Amino acid sequence: MLTRNIAGVIVFSIVAVFFIFTALLMHPFGVPDESDMDDYIIDNTQEETGANNGVTAVVFDYRGFDTLGEATVLFAAVTGVIVLFRRLKK
Amino acid sequence: MSGMSKIVKTISSIIFPFITIYGLYVIAHGHLTPGGGFQGGAVVASGLAMLLVAYGSVWTMGKLKEKHLSINQTLESVGAIGFIGLAFFGLIFGTKIFFNNFLVNKQDYLFGATVKLGETAANINTAGILPLMNFAVGLKVIAGLFGIVLLMAYATRLKEGK
Amino acid sequence: MTYIELIHIIVPILIVGASIVAVLLRDLLAAVIAIAAMSLLLSLEFYILQAPDVAIAQAGVGACLTTAIFVIAIRATKRMEGEA
Repeated sequence: MLTRNIAGVIVFSIVAVFFIFTALLMHPFGVPDESDMDDYIIDNTQEETGANNGVTAVVFDYRGFDTLGEATVLFAAVTGVIVLFRRLKK
Repeated sequence: MSGMSKIVKTISSIIFPFITIYGLYVIAHGHLTPGGGFQGGAVVASGLAMLLVAYGSVWTMGKLKEKHLSINQTLESVGAIGFIGLAFFGLIFGTKIFFNNFLVNKQDYLFGATVKLGETAANINTAGILPLMNFAVGLKVIAGLFGIVLLMAYATRLKEGK
Repeated sequence: MTYIELIHIIVPILIVGASIVAVLLRDLLAAVIAIAAMSLLLSLEFYILQAPDVAIAQAGVGACLTTAIFVIAIRATKRMEGEA
């Protein structure tokens, strides 16, 4: 049991140091390095898609394939649940 | 799984219409305000799941038949087919690319009004196929997420008194 | 330090606290409620980080639907951890 505790403390310390260094090296919030795509979408969303909400314009128009994949994942999840729970007792 | 107490049932019944209206608002205004098909569908499915947990699966499965589960999954498939069908219509009309927004800025059609540029008051009759896709994805997410909870209730319907 | 920075410090601490409570509780239903509270606080954190889309999705899926599924599963099995 003592060995398990020592191993747990060591693993916890490694993970904690990793997270702390990641937090220290993290990019500042709201200051992107490369903003070409952001500027294009912010400038042209209203003309090209007619939507005032830029996020919906990206999700359903510019990056429609992503939403298609998300819908496929949801469909597969529901199909899996149906296969799991179908007709437990006749 | 039996139902909860009368207090929980009453409060759930009172608060359920408000949650549903808020979710449908999020779906319908997906191209104007934060949110969209997935978020609004998750809110509506949350309200339905709350009602199901409050009333219990024994009561629910007494009201519902297996036919209704099939109807639920049919609605989900209708949403999926509507979404991908709108995407494929972009191959037929307009500039003929996948996910082409072929209804935007056409005054004769629904959701075809030209949007005013800049920070103006939003017009709901804009954005072409985006609201239609929001409705399709919203229907799909409502039916899909509620179908998962409904199937859980269907699997636990035989446990009386727990 | 403005008050929004104070919220940025308080809310993650509450998230971690709710997670620890969820791990330590022996009553599974109470643990599920703690997870729901954690999810709601995470949704608040998303909102104050200016991502209202993600906040609505997290509040709907994480705080309500997951809790409903867990409650259905717990009421069909045993409530306390360690029962036979």
